[in-house]
Amino acid sequence: MSPQDPVEPPAPAGEHGFWHGRSALLMPGLLAAFSLFLLIGAFLVPAADTEFPGPRFVPVILGGVGLLLAVLLGVGVLRTPEPVEETSGRSYRSHSDFAALAWVAGGFLAFALLMPWLGWILAGALLFWCTAHGFGSRRPLFDILIALFLSSVIYLIFGTGLGLILPSGILGGGF
Amino acid sequence: MEQIDLLMQGFAGALSPMNLLWVVVGCLLGTAVGVLPGLGSSMAVALLLPMTFALDPTAAFILFAGVYFGGLFGDSTMAILLNTPGQASAIASTFEGHRMANAGRAPQALATAAIGAFVGGMVASVLVVFISPTLVALSSAFGPPEFFALALFAFIATSSVVADNVLKGLAALVLGIGITMIGIDGVSGLPRFTLGSPQLFDGISLVTVTVAVLALGEVLFVASRVRREQEDLRVRAGGGRPFLSRQELAEAAPAWARGTVIGLPFGVIPAGGAEVPTFLAYEAERRLDRRRRTPKFGKGAIRGLAAPEAAGNATTGMAMGALLALGLPVSATAAIMLAAFRQYGLQPGPLLFETSADLVWALLASFFLAMVVLLVINLPFAQLWAKLLLIPKPYLYGGITLFCGLGIWATSGAVFDLVLLLAIGVLGFLMRRYDYPVAPLMIGMVLGPLAETSLRDALLSSVGDPRVLVSSPITIVIYVLLLGVVALSVRTRTRRDL
Repeated sequence: MSPQDPVEPPAPAGEHGFWHGRSALLMPGLLAAFSLFLLIGAFLVPAADTEFPGPRFVPVILGGVGLLLAVLLGVGVLRTPEPVEETSGRSYRSHSDFAALAWVAGGFLAFALLMPWLGWILAGALLFWCTAHGFGSRRPLFDILIALFLSSVIYLIFGTGLGLILPSGILGGGF
Repeated sequence: MEQIDLLMQGFAGALSPMNLLWVVVGCLLGTAVGVLPGLGSSMAVALLLPMTFALDPTAAFILFAGVYFGGLFGDSTMAILLNTPGQASAIASTFEGHRMANAGRAPQALATAAIGAFVGGMVASVLVVFISPTLVALSSAFGPPEFFALALFAFIATSSVVADNVLKGLAALVLGIGITMIGIDGVSGLPRFTLGSPQLFDGISLVTVTVAVLALGEVLFVASRVRREQEDLRVRAGGGRPFLSRQELAEAAPAWARGTVIGLPFGVIPAGGAEVPTFLAYEAERRLDRRRRTPKFGKGAIRGLAAPEAAGNATTGMAMGALLALGLPVSATAAIMLAAFRQYGLQPGPLLFETSADLVWALLASFFLAMVVLLVINLPFAQLWAKLLLIPKPYLYGGITLFCGLGIWATSGAVFDLVLLLAIGVLGFLMRRYDYPVAPLMIGMVLGPLAETSLRDALLSSVGDPRVLVSSPITIVIYVLLLGVVALSVRTRTRRDL
């Protein structure tokens, strides 16, 4: 029997450690944090002299329900960890492709922060190139051309044609 | 007939060259996003939201309606040819539709789907024209308690009936309503949850959340998977004319009719749009088929494709009516269109028919035009649309990401909103990754302020007496309906578990 044999019994959960298949706790965690934000924020609203039901009323209900849901969802994840599906035939450390995610999200962050300096054409081209790269495009130089072409076309159609205000950035120079 | 006159005036408005152009653009765009798996009309409408700054309201809504209907025409193309539904509303069409394609009847399947969508949409549009005055009269009797009941209905129905997991649906709902709490409180004028940041005084823009959750979140989710999953992209082409024989027509016609009848009521029930009725229509045809002498299901039954297609567009047509007359969004796409109305300072509901009658009737007239245009561009050319798959994914998604950025920069012009877009986009990714439905978040975001202000207005006027919420016959009817919907979903759920 080879190690890759499909009928091999699944590895016991203990071998992978607690977090294996339990990354789904992230969502209940986020929900709990947001609910606490609503509850704490509600008591910081200077609403002493407003009539019932004031600006605190709905946020407090929401925060309470949110916390309850977070606990129930969290317990659900703890009791039944997500089964790790293997569809690709290869094993990865995580099911999500974090490298691709980082390219797209990182590209977007760079686009957002650099927009006022680089201008729409360059920042937009950067965003397009990073996303295409994250999606596995294998022609980086050709992609630069496509990216610049697309962002320029958008600049012409939406900026010049439809009158949206898109920054020209360093390309603007003396114009 | 007053409505006929109004509709004719609407046609006069909609038939202007510019508006006709927007009908065609919307239909082409809607079909394209419907055809492409992973993209849907909700994402397309979200990305088009910033266009509201460049277009006049009539043109913008004609465009949106074209996209909404177009998505339902296009989504069955890939379902049939590739066994991959273009969006969730085509899942039910996949079963028999793809079997027809495998049996060498792809052109007939595509024609059945296109005609079915046309029939459903047409019947619904006619019905909307005639019942909208009734809906308007009904909703003009609405006060704060009724609006709160309606919003509550939409909340519970979308998060518990449509979602596979009630807890996850409710969690998405809480997030959606919670986001709307940020900013100046509409009733008391006090700032809430702004962390002292002036950028948050006006709250988080609905446009930002919509684009983030429906477009950027989807891009991130696809990015996390695209290199891990190999798809079988073999298109089952098939020669032959895309027309139905007399016998096939006779077989499909009753199914189109039944599908339409099943789809219509779901347009006014906020149960997430076209998914539920398409499945119900498919189920109904399957049961009818079992009683026939020669059951055809499983071998490419034309009826199993005709009914869900008609149901999907019947629901969408009625949903547009409910949106215009009641201000009630039944699906994520309708919720975004409601947001677009707000961008223009318009509030769908009874008043809209009085204050913006020319807009409303031009829009209703454009539904009919859109149906005809969609039939023309889908019936003969469905195989051509399948060629859209040749666009390389890196460029497709690169373009979508670029348009996310463009849209938000166009509406706000601030780096802050772009970073916010990314943050909420990551939330949208996490929700998809862990199977949280996004529709409840959208509905919560759109109806949250209405629910809060009407609840508080009602309680303020009754000096805190909660009985005001169930004081009128309309509210009691809505709550009884809600109980019925919940009971029904509990029953189907427990039966599914058995």
